[in-house]
Amino acid sequence: MPTILPLGDSGLLVRFGTTLTDPSNRAATAFALTLEREPISGVVEVVPNLVSVLLRYDPLTTAPAGIAGEVGLRLNGLAGEQTNRTEWVIPTAFDGPDLDEVAASLSVSPAAFVAAHNASALRVLATGFAPGFVYCGLHPDRLLVPRRSSVRSLVPAGSVLFAAGQTAIAATEMPTGWHVIGRTGFINFDPVRNPPTRLNAGDSITFEVAS
Amino acid sequence: MSAVLSVQRAGPLTTIQDLGRHGMLRSGISASGPMDRRAYELAGTVVGAGLGGIEITAAGAEFKVTSGECLVGFAGGHFTVRVNGRVADWPGTSALEVGDVLAITPGSSGNYGYLRFDADIDIAPVLGSIATNSRVRLGGLDGRALRTGDVVALTGHGRSAREARQPPTGQDGPFRVVWGLHADAFPSAIKDHFLRAEFVVSTRLDRMGVRLTDGSGVFSDATILSLVSDAVTPGDIQILGDGTPIVLMRDHQPTGGYPRIATIITADLDRFAQMRPGSTVAFQPVTVEHAHHVLRSGP
Repeated sequence: MPTILPLGDSGLLVRFGTTLTDPSNRAATAFALTLEREPISGVVEVVPNLVSVLLRYDPLTTAPAGIAGEVGLRLNGLAGEQTNRTEWVIPTAFDGPDLDEVAASLSVSPAAFVAAHNASALRVLATGFAPGFVYCGLHPDRLLVPRRSSVRSLVPAGSVLFAAGQTAIAATEMPTGWHVIGRTGFINFDPVRNPPTRLNAGDSITFEVAS
Repeated sequence: MSAVLSVQRAGPLTTIQDLGRHGMLRSGISASGPMDRRAYELAGTVVGAGLGGIEITAAGAEFKVTSGECLVGFAGGHFTVRVNGRVADWPGTSALEVGDVLAITPGSSGNYGYLRFDADIDIAPVLGSIATNSRVRLGGLDGRALRTGDVVALTGHGRSAREARQPPTGQDGPFRVVWGLHADAFPSAIKDHFLRAEFVVSTRLDRMGVRLTDGSGVFSDATILSLVSDAVTPGDIQILGDGTPIVLMRDHQPTGGYPRIATIITADLDRFAQMRPGSTVAFQPVTVEHAHHVLRSGP
């Protein structure tokens, strides 16, 4: 069973694990979806994270004990597989400055790395680190590389990033310690739209080589 | 009422704020909003303010009314305000007309002050709010802080003014915290030391976070675990890899991977935001229930 922890005095965090695993991520995603279908009174925002779901409440009007009780009821009925998955294809130019180094560290050619990277659909594991930023995964262990030892001060919006068994897409210019393996024109952030982002945790992502 | 204010001088990080851009965490946007919410509300109450206000930093600011007239309310920290060179009460209100100059200079304490008007700040909301989030460049004027030469237009009418009560922000003593998401990851000796220690507010502070100087080395020997990135809330006390504690504030990154030992309670976060560099701070644990009680009934 997940643990329910206070996050300050205005939030409860329902945590399905303390390390990123496929089951803990799937459970968090499914639970967030359940809360969209069956909202809890007094919860003002539901935020899925990699292995947890944040429930924000108004501390002036709502006690967390009541929310925790409702959480328990919904956890009992938690569906195994979600059903609202949207499938996305992300055309990507695999020409990032770290591509060769990543491929070399896995002892394959850059072309073979790209083929392996794109071989199967990934899942959006979480969103929210920065505007429009998405974590996708999980890659098989044979594609595991650690983060870079140094941080690039800024990479452009649309950078496709790779580390720790995941691929991420930056939607805004940002510093990063991940390897930059490519770039896409798919920018998952438009402040003129509401919501400003299109990708959601649980969506399916297929990277393909931009022609 | 309507008026146009011209920015004659703006200290760094002078921003347009409202109550914040809520509900956007999953899109990667924290709520922003005033660093001292009670002061923001007090400045608004005394003039029946409309939408938004201007958050002033300890570097001060100066505005000139280039057309129209308005009522302005001011509060937060200790600042000196002059209207055409004449000192007015702070917190307080003033009626401004065309040609008037409003100058705010820092006083004895505090980091943030607020100007609010009997009219709306005439800026189109972005994602439901005009609050400036300069980290992600949203809201305000092009998502940035105000600078000399900017024009802030006011439009429409405010609401009816109410008699203001000075908010109870003058409490001294330790800042109350609830234990944080990763408190259990710290040995009990470090948690005990954290509660006994005094920290100093460093000069590295902004709307995203306030770095503390850990003079007694509470976290110097802490083994900082690598954690899966998880949700962050304002007031979280995060311990960086080098042992530096940082208190995350209104423009925080929505998620973080560093351990958080404790979270300053909502009722005390406004007061914390006003602590100047060099101030000594300490922390005292309370329950979530107590934090709510304090928030509802005052200290």
